[in-house]
Amino acid sequence: MTAFWYASRATGVVALLLLTAVMVLGMLVNRQGRLPGLPRFAVTGLHRNLSLLAVIFVAIHVLTSVADGYVNIPVFSAVVPFMSPYERLWLGLGAVSFDLAIAVIVTSLLRRHLSRRAWRVVHLLSYLCWPIAWVHSFFASGDLQHGVLLILAIGCAIAVGVGLVWRLAAAAGDVPRAERVGLIMAAVHDRTPRGRATANDADAPGDARHPRDRTSTR
Amino acid sequence: MTATTAGAFHEGSSRAAARGDLPRLLPPVREGKRPQNLDAHLARHGGLPYRDRTGMPGNPSALVRDLEEAGLTGRGGAAFPVHRKLMAVLEAAGQRGRPPAVIANGAESEPASDKDATLLWLAPHLVLDGLQLAAEAVGADTAILVTHADRGRDVAGRLRQALQERLAARLDRVPVQLAAAPARFLAGQETALVNQLGGGPAIPTFMPPRITERGLAANPTLVQNVETLAQLALIARRGPRWFREVGTASEPGSMLATLRRADGLPRIVEIPLGTPLRDLLGDAPAGPESAVLLGGYHGRWLPAARAATLTLDNRSLEPAGARVGAGIVISLPADRCGLVETARAVRYLALESAGQCGPCLNGLPRIAAAFAELASGRPRRGTREDLERWSGLVTGRGACHHPDGTARFVRSALRTFANEVRRHERGQCSAASTAPFLPVPDGAARSEDDWM
Repeated sequence: MTAFWYASRATGVVALLLLTAVMVLGMLVNRQGRLPGLPRFAVTGLHRNLSLLAVIFVAIHVLTSVADGYVNIPVFSAVVPFMSPYERLWLGLGAVSFDLAIAVIVTSLLRRHLSRRAWRVVHLLSYLCWPIAWVHSFFASGDLQHGVLLILAIGCAIAVGVGLVWRLAAAAGDVPRAERVGLIMAAVHDRTPRGRATANDADAPGDARHPRDRTSTR
Repeated sequence: MTATTAGAFHEGSSRAAARGDLPRLLPPVREGKRPQNLDAHLARHGGLPYRDRTGMPGNPSALVRDLEEAGLTGRGGAAFPVHRKLMAVLEAAGQRGRPPAVIANGAESEPASDKDATLLWLAPHLVLDGLQLAAEAVGADTAILVTHADRGRDVAGRLRQALQERLAARLDRVPVQLAAAPARFLAGQETALVNQLGGGPAIPTFMPPRITERGLAANPTLVQNVETLAQLALIARRGPRWFREVGTASEPGSMLATLRRADGLPRIVEIPLGTPLRDLLGDAPAGPESAVLLGGYHGRWLPAARAATLTLDNRSLEPAGARVGAGIVISLPADRCGLVETARAVRYLALESAGQCGPCLNGLPRIAAAFAELASGRPRRGTREDLERWSGLVTGRGACHHPDGTARFVRSALRTFANEVRRHERGQCSAASTAPFLPVPDGAARSEDDWM
C-alpha cells in the first residue's frame, strides 16, 4: 500500500523536525534560558511534551515503514541495528538512534527512581542520538537530498550546531557555584540607593554609633 | 500546657517541682561545668543496655517500641518522631539488603545555638551511648559523629579522648568515626551532611531519594541530632514512663535550649518541654518594642508581650506561627534596633545560600539588600512591600528549606517591628546602640573548599 510509504516518509520528516526542536529546547533548558513570552517552566514543559510527541511520530514512522510491503524491512530490524536487507547501513543507523531515544525517554519517565547522575549520563546520549537520526534521515531515502526538504535538513543541522556552540560557550562562562552568591550580593548591594545600604554610615539609625560597629552590607 | 495556664504561671512558683529530676542530659548542677569522664558517666547512668538483637521491619527491637511509647522527637529542630525514622531505615535496609549507617549530627550550624557543642563537651558519653544503641537497633555497621569544624571549645579533642576511654573499656560494638562539618549555615542539614561525608561539598541535595533509603554510599542512613541520641540513651536505660515524667502530654521529655539575653552570651539550660517562656526570658522589661527571637535565623520574631504568654512547645507556639526548633530563645535588648539586627542576620543567610537553586540564589541577596535599606534609616517607598512579595516568591522553591526559613524570619521581623519600620521610613530609629547583638559569623564562603 502506498499510503504506508507516504505516511512513513512524512512522519519521518516531522519526527526530524520535532527532534531538532527538542534538542534546541533541551539545550535552552540546560542553560535555564527562556523563550519570549514564556516562563522558564514552560520551556521545560515544551521540551518534555515535544519529546513525547516526537516519540509518537518516530513510532508511526517505524511501524508504517515495516508495514509497507514495497521493500522488505523486518520488524526486529527497527530495534536491532543493521539487520534490514534494505539499506542495511542507513536503516541500521535509524535503529541505533531509535534505541538511544528510547533509553533517553524511559530514563526520563523513571527519573524519580534514578540518581541524578545516572539520568544525566543517559540523557547526554541525546547528543549522539540526534546526529545519527539526522544521518539516517538524510541517506535512508533521497527525499531530503534536494529541494525544500534539503533546505529543511540543512536548517535543522545548523539549528542544533549553533545551539551546541552556544551551550558550550555558556557553560564555559559559568561562575563556580561557590562564587555565585558573592557576585550577586555585590551586584544588588551596589544597586541600592546612594550606592550602599549600610547601617553604620552617616545614615545609620541611633545615636550611639561606634566606629567598630560592623553592619556593613559588603 | 496551654497559653492560659502559662499566663497564670507566676515567676518562681513551683518551678522546682515542675522540673522533676532535671538536668538529665547535662551533669548535675552541683558538679559544675566539668566534662564527665567514662567513670563518672557510668556511675551516674549505669552501663550500656545493649538489647543484643537488631530489629526487623515487621518486628522492631524493644528500643524502637520504647521510643514510640516515650514519644521522643528529633531535637535538631524538625521534631520528627524518632521511632519512625528508625523504622524507615530498618525497612529500607530490609528491602535493599544493605547495612545502614548511623550519623550523629553535632554540626550545629545555626550560629545562635550552642547546645549541641555544650552537650558534647559536658556529656560526650551519653551521645556516644545513643549512637551505639541506635546503630544496634537498625543493624548499622557504620557510625559517624559530626561536629562543627571551629567552635570555641575543642569538642573533637574531647570526643577523641572519650572514644579512647571507651576503647579501653571495650564498650563500643560499632567503631565510631569523627568528622567535622564546615562552618556553613546549611552544613548541618541532613542531606548536606551526607553529601559532605560522601566526599562532596556540604550542600543540600534534592529529595527524593530520602537518605533513610539512599544516603551515605547509597546505603540507608539514619541521621539524628546528638541531643536526640543522648535522650535515646536515657530512654533505653530508664524507659518511656520515666521520660514522660516531664514535658507535656503531647510533647514529652526535656530539651536543651540556648538562651541569649541582654549580654548576648549563650546560656545552655535543660528544661521540660512546655516551660513558660516568661521563665526563660528573665525579668527583662517587656516594653512595647521588645521582642524575642524563637528558633534562630530560620525562626520567628515575636513581640515580647506575646511571647510571655506562650510556653516552649509546638502546640503552644503554633498559633503564633513559631516552633520550638532547636531551642533557641533570644531576647532583644531594649537599646537595639530589631531591623538592624535582622538585616545583619539576613545578609548572613543570603551569603550562606548554596547557590544551586535559582529562587534562593537570586532572591535572598535581593531580600538582604532591601532589608539593609529598611534598616539603614531612609528606605525607598515600596521596599517593605518588595520584601513581603519576594519572601512569598522564594518560599517552597528550593532543594532545602533555606529560602523558606529565611522568608519566615524576614516576614516575622516586618510584623514584629512594624512600628520601627514606620519610624525608619521617617528617617528615625528608636535604638540607642548599633553594636551588633545577634551572633553572626563574618566569613562567607569564597570557593568550593569553604564548603568541604
